[in-house]
Amino acid sequence: MTSFLPQFPLSANPLLLFGLLLLSGLAGGELARRVLHLPRIIGYVLIGLALGTSGLGLLDAGLVKQAWIVVDIALGLILFELGRRLHFTWLRNDRWLLATGLLESALSFGCVYFALIYFDVKPIFAALAAAIGVSTSPAVVLLVAQELKAEGQVTERALNLVAMNSVIAVILTTMLLPWLHHEYRASWTMIALHPVYLLGGSLILGYLASVVAILFSRWVGKHAERQLVMLLALIVLAIGAARMLELSVLLALLAFGVFSRNLDARHDLMAVELSGVGQMFYVVLFVVGGARLDVLGLMTGGAVAVVYVAARFVGKSIGVMSLTYFSGARAGAAGLLCIVLTPMSGIALALVHETSNLYPGFGAELASIVLSAVLILELIGPVAVQFALRRAGEAKDQAERAPGAA
Amino acid sequence: MSEMDFKRSPELSVGVELELQILNSRDFDLARDAADLIALLEKTPVPGAVKPEITESMVELNSSIHKSHDTLVAELKTIRDAVTQAAQRLNVRIAGGGSHPFHMWADRRIYPTERFSLLLERYGYLAKQFTIFGQHVHIGCPDGDAAIYLAHILSRYVPHFIALSASSPFQQGEDTAYQSSRLNTVSAFPLSGQIPFVQSWDEFTNYFNKMRGFGIIESMKDFYWDIRPKPEYGTVEIRVFDTPLTVERAALLAAYAQSLARHILTQRPLAPSRDVYVLYSHNRFQACRYGLEGKIVDPYSQRQVGLKDDVAETLALIAAHAAELGNADALARLQAEIAADRTDAGWLREAHRERGSLNDVARMQSDLWMGLDLKAG
Repeated sequence: MTSFLPQFPLSANPLLLFGLLLLSGLAGGELARRVLHLPRIIGYVLIGLALGTSGLGLLDAGLVKQAWIVVDIALGLILFELGRRLHFTWLRNDRWLLATGLLESALSFGCVYFALIYFDVKPIFAALAAAIGVSTSPAVVLLVAQELKAEGQVTERALNLVAMNSVIAVILTTMLLPWLHHEYRASWTMIALHPVYLLGGSLILGYLASVVAILFSRWVGKHAERQLVMLLALIVLAIGAARMLELSVLLALLAFGVFSRNLDARHDLMAVELSGVGQMFYVVLFVVGGARLDVLGLMTGGAVAVVYVAARFVGKSIGVMSLTYFSGARAGAAGLLCIVLTPMSGIALALVHETSNLYPGFGAELASIVLSAVLILELIGPVAVQFALRRAGEAKDQAERAPGAA
Repeated sequence: MSEMDFKRSPELSVGVELELQILNSRDFDLARDAADLIALLEKTPVPGAVKPEITESMVELNSSIHKSHDTLVAELKTIRDAVTQAAQRLNVRIAGGGSHPFHMWADRRIYPTERFSLLLERYGYLAKQFTIFGQHVHIGCPDGDAAIYLAHILSRYVPHFIALSASSPFQQGEDTAYQSSRLNTVSAFPLSGQIPFVQSWDEFTNYFNKMRGFGIIESMKDFYWDIRPKPEYGTVEIRVFDTPLTVERAALLAAYAQSLARHILTQRPLAPSRDVYVLYSHNRFQACRYGLEGKIVDPYSQRQVGLKDDVAETLALIAAHAAELGNADALARLQAEIAADRTDAGWLREAHRERGSLNDVARMQSDLWMGLDLKAG
């Protein structure tokens, strides 16, 4: 018999899956760019939607789970890069930027929470959904900015605000866990110690990774390639350690990025470009994200999702519009910043995912509120960011600005 | 009133323009924030003026008119502090130096004004390569004829100005082997070079009108000469200085030029000579390539002299005029720096040897200009 031949039915494996997702996502991105003139990200998400439960059903929950390791790596890379954008020196020199970040985070939490309560969502769900809504998708903002090669005050300020509200969203969600544990009648030790362990442990892990990165790069010297590989190693290591220790991957990697930027007093770490390597993980991140979205859910939970999206936009916009004037930003920047803060995606999905791991029942209900909103914002978000950065005149592919235009 | 009417200005007054680099705080490459920086500075009272330059990565600071070094340096420091503070609010950095060590010219963007767009259209890539940074020193003249005379005699000293200010050893990520590589970029422009060998303001005005009649130029601005008269200010403008790494050094160089000009205009020690221009390119090259170690041919004595010795002799020659202007201390400091072999190009190369990265060089040169190096440690 021909025993050396594969046996039918053929069984897939994670590598095959990864390659297929990558290739199909890439094709979707290219189509979005060429045919629709939209950011590539939208193409990735649409391919995900088409392959996922809402579409052909090829990418079911089991396969999504298999692909989760890629999502982890992608989010890790993005959060690290985002963390490196959060520059304490800047926040010291332009305190109104710091104030803007705090206010827009607080107001978006408040607006979403009370809007959901008003629409009869249970407080615990409303609170967690609102905490998740504080975050803006760093993946969308970073990737669109990179795709446009955008550079300037709106881009830089937006990335700092995104970094701030991502940190705040993750910390808020963690601090709400006692309430959730209480609701599910967990033990008092669980209620009291779990958030402390999550916050403390993740921060320490990020801190340690940054110390190793700084010392290692001091030893290696100023060689971009070696520093790149070292950072990739530490990022993957930190993700793995966070998983092993049941810590927050999001917080640990954000902390890694923030510390490595702000503790590196001797400037040993180079500003190496991770986006080239990251690109293949980012494509899969959005395809898998798209596959997890539920169009039918949007049909039924659509009203809540629209309320959620609107309340979040209002909260963030009031925060940004009221304080940006006092910061060093030019006139007109505030409105554009409000638009750049629109997208939600990866962090929101990951936060829902992590809550679901604790209490699957709760997670499913939370998902029904948040994911519909993510579906809307994942499609609108990239377009919004692209519009705002172009409007700011900060995209590189734009023709030289017309004389006289501000 | 025509553009070529030579305005009277306070005789032997001095004014400075500095073209500066705007860097990002991430990898210290050139940034694009000139418009934001200028807008922010418009909200704060700053002496002098802050203006855009040809690309979005540049900003130009102008001092007001001064009689001597001390008030000039005080004002430049005030402007520097204001600009530093504004830059910090935007999270960008400001650096001196004639060139950015590793930026790529193709990444540059033209600042959106009619004139700059026109320059891009006319000169193509040269316009973006013009992202180099110079110091211009204006010397007040009593009339146009004096300005022409001063320009011709100062031309003999152009190698001094180049060697003393040289601060562009790196370009596009490479060590050029030059002390000042900036002027090689200027030389690519068709209207660069030197003033024609005219002897009076009338003769110069005829030349100007002829060139304008041919449609070659529209205004004095179109001449990218090393030294050019500026009738609307009533000055002679020396344009060969690289922007030094600090405003203090910029003020010392201005004091040197001002004291030398006083010597020239009050003593009338030399007659304009065609030989200055015969030897000009050679002498200029020596200064760019080797700095104070270069050897020029003195057009008047027709002997070869080391630039360092020539500067030392000149400092002695103009000492009385420096004292008269109140610049004696400044020139003593300049002399001490020359004796100690402290040059900006040398500082930049040393920084590169020490850190092994041009990103670090750019960071350190912005720390130095902004006055952050002492605090940052």
